[in-house]
Amino acid sequence: QTTGLVGLAVAENPHERLRILYTKILGVLQNIPKDAAYRKYTEQIVNERFDLVKKETDVQKLQDKLNSGHIEEVIVQAENELSLARKMIQWKPWEPLVEEPPSDQWRWPI
Amino acid sequence: TVRPKNEVEQKQLCAFGEYVAEIMPKYIQQVQVTCFNELELLIHPDGIIPVLTFLRDHTNAQFKSLADLTAVDVPSRQYRFEVVYNLLSLRFNSRIRVKTYTDELTPIDSAVSVHKAANWYEREVWDMYGVFFANHPDLRRILTDYGFEGHPFRKDFPLSGYVEV
Repeated sequence: QTTGLVGLAVAENPHERLRILYTKILGVLQNIPKDAAYRKYTEQIVNERFDLVKKETDVQKLQDKLNSGHIEEVIVQAENELSLARKMIQWKPWEPLVEEPPSDQWRWPI
Repeated sequence: TVRPKNEVEQKQLCAFGEYVAEIMPKYIQQVQVTCFNELELLIHPDGIIPVLTFLRDHTNAQFKSLADLTAVDVPSRQYRFEVVYNLLSLRFNSRIRVKTYTDELTPIDSAVSVHKAANWYEREVWDMYGVFFANHPDLRRILTDYGFEGHPFRKDFPLSGYVEV
């Protein structure tokens, strides 16, 4: 029983783990203003994956439907998304532009 | 002969560029797609760590690999140095370029906290251009000689240097 990938152990009970992670992500996303694009798109992605996880109980078929590599990789990706959501709350990237560049900054050729 | 234009990939990259620009309007100043199908994000320097972490962690943009970290010196500009990050996504097999600007004295946040690979690249940019990286674990010279003064890749540094060897 092995994933075939270095450093990733086989996950027992991946459905439960994914369920917990996706509910946590959705909980963290509630702290973002509703009109932020990040919140819209991430909720869309997370809800799609969550529905697939809830409907499909077989691990192999779930991997094929998600089309995103091994289940363990999907779990790692969900953990990354969770940490990203927490950091986004501090950085608030949905606000308007911080500072305009000087007018010749991005002109090419000079 | 001329390279054939890949319209499909161009449209996909444009769509992805608009997607990222919509999510992070605070830091992204401009998005462009070259005619060779290369997506470039032009960033304000405060937004390096947020944008790089977003590109690394988000599900639609898993750019886990930092392929290159360089700088460009354009002396006529107010912010003369342009720091360029090249990222590669293994999941989606696509590349993206992130560009920021700084002048000689303003430090830039180090990308080491996001990508461990940036360590030596940032040492090289410091050594060759003089761009200081804040929060870098070990910023010292890497390619020049031990007592070397000056930053060789700057445009005002002469080709055969100041010291006779």
